[in-house]
Amino acid sequence: MSNSIFHKLMFSFCLVLVMVLAACSSDDEASESASGENTVEFWHSMTDTAGDAVEQVIEEFEKEYPDIDIKATYVANQGEGQNEKLLTAIAGGNPPDVAYFDRFEVATWAAEGSLESLTDLAEEAGISKDDYYDFAWDELIYEGDLYGIPTTTDSRLLFYNRDHFEEVGLDPENPPTTIDELEEAAEKLTIKDGNRFERIGFIPWFAQGSFYSWGWSFGGDFYDPETGEVTADDPKNVEALEWITEFGKKYGVEDIAGFTDSQGSGAMDPFVSGQISMKIDGNFGVASLEKFAPDLNYGVTPIPTPTGDNFKTWSGGWSVVIPKGANNQDGAWEFLKFFGSEEGQKIFSEGSRDFSVIDSVNESLGYTDDPIFSEFINILPESNSRPVMTAGSLYWNALADAVESSTRENGTPKENLEEVTQRVTEALEE
Amino acid sequence: MKKMEQSDQALVEEGMEASIKKKSKISGSSINGWLFASPWVIGLILFYAFPLFSSIYYSFTTYSILSPGEFIGFSNYKQLMVDGIFWKSIYNTVYFAIFFVPLSIIIGVALAMLLNMRVKGMAVYRTIFFLPTLVPHVALAVLWMWLLNPGFGLVNGVLDAIGLTGPNWLGSVTWSKPSLILMSLWAIGQPVIIYLAGLGDIPQELYEAADVDGASWLQKTFKVTLPLLTPVIFFNLVMGAIGAFQQFTLPYTMTQGQGTPDNSLTFYVMYLYDNAFKYSKMGYASAMAWILFIVIMLLTAVIFISSKRWVHYQGK
Repeated sequence: MSNSIFHKLMFSFCLVLVMVLAACSSDDEASESASGENTVEFWHSMTDTAGDAVEQVIEEFEKEYPDIDIKATYVANQGEGQNEKLLTAIAGGNPPDVAYFDRFEVATWAAEGSLESLTDLAEEAGISKDDYYDFAWDELIYEGDLYGIPTTTDSRLLFYNRDHFEEVGLDPENPPTTIDELEEAAEKLTIKDGNRFERIGFIPWFAQGSFYSWGWSFGGDFYDPETGEVTADDPKNVEALEWITEFGKKYGVEDIAGFTDSQGSGAMDPFVSGQISMKIDGNFGVASLEKFAPDLNYGVTPIPTPTGDNFKTWSGGWSVVIPKGANNQDGAWEFLKFFGSEEGQKIFSEGSRDFSVIDSVNESLGYTDDPIFSEFINILPESNSRPVMTAGSLYWNALADAVESSTRENGTPKENLEEVTQRVTEALEE
Repeated sequence: MKKMEQSDQALVEEGMEASIKKKSKISGSSINGWLFASPWVIGLILFYAFPLFSSIYYSFTTYSILSPGEFIGFSNYKQLMVDGIFWKSIYNTVYFAIFFVPLSIIIGVALAMLLNMRVKGMAVYRTIFFLPTLVPHVALAVLWMWLLNPGFGLVNGVLDAIGLTGPNWLGSVTWSKPSLILMSLWAIGQPVIIYLAGLGDIPQELYEAADVDGASWLQKTFKVTLPLLTPVIFFNLVMGAIGAFQQFTLPYTMTQGQGTPDNSLTFYVMYLYDNAFKYSKMGYASAMAWILFIVIMLLTAVIFISSKRWVHYQGK
């Protein structure tokens, strides 16, 4: 009798044991095959032309390093404040060896100790700031240490439709340079019917018209890296937001929202369909214009400023990083080096049509000879990068909130920007 | 006599033995039971209880998933009290709940009563009203963004045709939340099914008795149908309130996580999510989660306590 209880006990115990073991063993197998000695696991979020370009980079790399095998995985929503999968992978101690990463978040992640420092490796390999654009390199430095290798960059300019300019009697060879000229042109170009826009001249916050674009163009600044002071309420920034608010009031913020809500991207972009005459956009906007509207007669010019000189822009871009706790760091570093090298950059930039972070590569790919691309390249030395700080995402969202609130007349521009300064300062103090 | 005593004793002994046997049998089988249930029990403790209780601790720290953070006492909670967007998100969420929950009950019950009539092809009508529930939230958001488009959306087109100028639904601070309520009401099929089941549960003889007494349709509805439907309404009220406070997918997809215009669609859970995963303030987000938990608990408690006054169970 006691025997039978004992048997039952043993049986159920064994059953549980088998189940647990089965679960463990399948885990072991999976991680072994994924992190074999010469396999580098690489997560990226690129599709379309950039996706093809990165495949080419990997192919070339594997040709040169036949003993390293890159296992590339597409991960949707990586970068731009959406890194949940990478976040949990690092927290769980099972990250990829290399991740394609938005440079603007590197400082935040480095501060959390979630990226491997590359300072010593870069020094050994002789990679330094001199190889790249200054702002691209600076975005990867947190408290004196390097946390990634830059791969792409961009800049923002004013796009304008030449045919529309001629139609209303503006000179397409002399696009607006001052804010007053911009406003005047916008007024001439706009065709409004009731509360609907048949065509709108310009919307300050459309496409890449984020507040960073305007603050810098008005001569303001956002952050002092020396003192760590947040200056969202810089008087020049306030001036910029006051202008944006006035602009919104003049054309009707809700009517503009009605217009922008009806627009799409790609072939549905209002600049492609001729429903907007001027917009702020990046060089990545050129590729879609080439694809969807090859005959569009347009030009690009620096973002107008109050004085008509001291043109400014800002640049973002991507990098490759090694997440903390990656298994194959040696292999990962070889791949990072190759991706950031002149050779890797040439392959990637040519395929993706994204700007390289190396000046000579952009030149050798003919970007400086192209009438449109050269404008973007020429302004890069004057370019800013978003503040390198641990609250980068918060700052970005808070500024977007301030523009929304001000244009909706919920608080004055000054009040709203003061609130941004306060919010971000508090977050930095934590 | 002696014999009797002896046999009695034997009986008692036997009984004792039997009870021992029984006891050991019970403990044996319960060990087996626990062993078989152990994968589930371990899973529950590991994946539910542990994260749940550790989040209480984390709400007192600067935890950020990647770093354990420092213990900072109540500062997360104190900071929340002066966080403007936190209060805005509470306002938006309460606004949504106050309008959506009662409306969903009124419309849901009305719809269920319509779908309970004996008409030919009722199965088809019921299916039609249930179909929107099957549409994923993301698709629902995109669909309604087009319907409510101020330029060429169907809704404003219809309003135009009858001589009204429709507002810019999703682009206006005033109209964005009503639009969201409208969208949510569209996918009301689930509660309607429950109401229909509740209606089917009301005994026919009550209506017959009411007919005999000469009750009108209105009287039957308010004296028979609705009172006997209250248990189901009660259930849907509790579930609806909890769901309304956790509103996330629809506004998040519609505004790409921005809560535009002017944070009028920033709901509580959206702001919680932003803090947790975008600003890496998991401790702060945990504090928010516990505040939400307490609010929902209190609200549910109030509904439960008040239910004694207005919920009528059959046979009581």
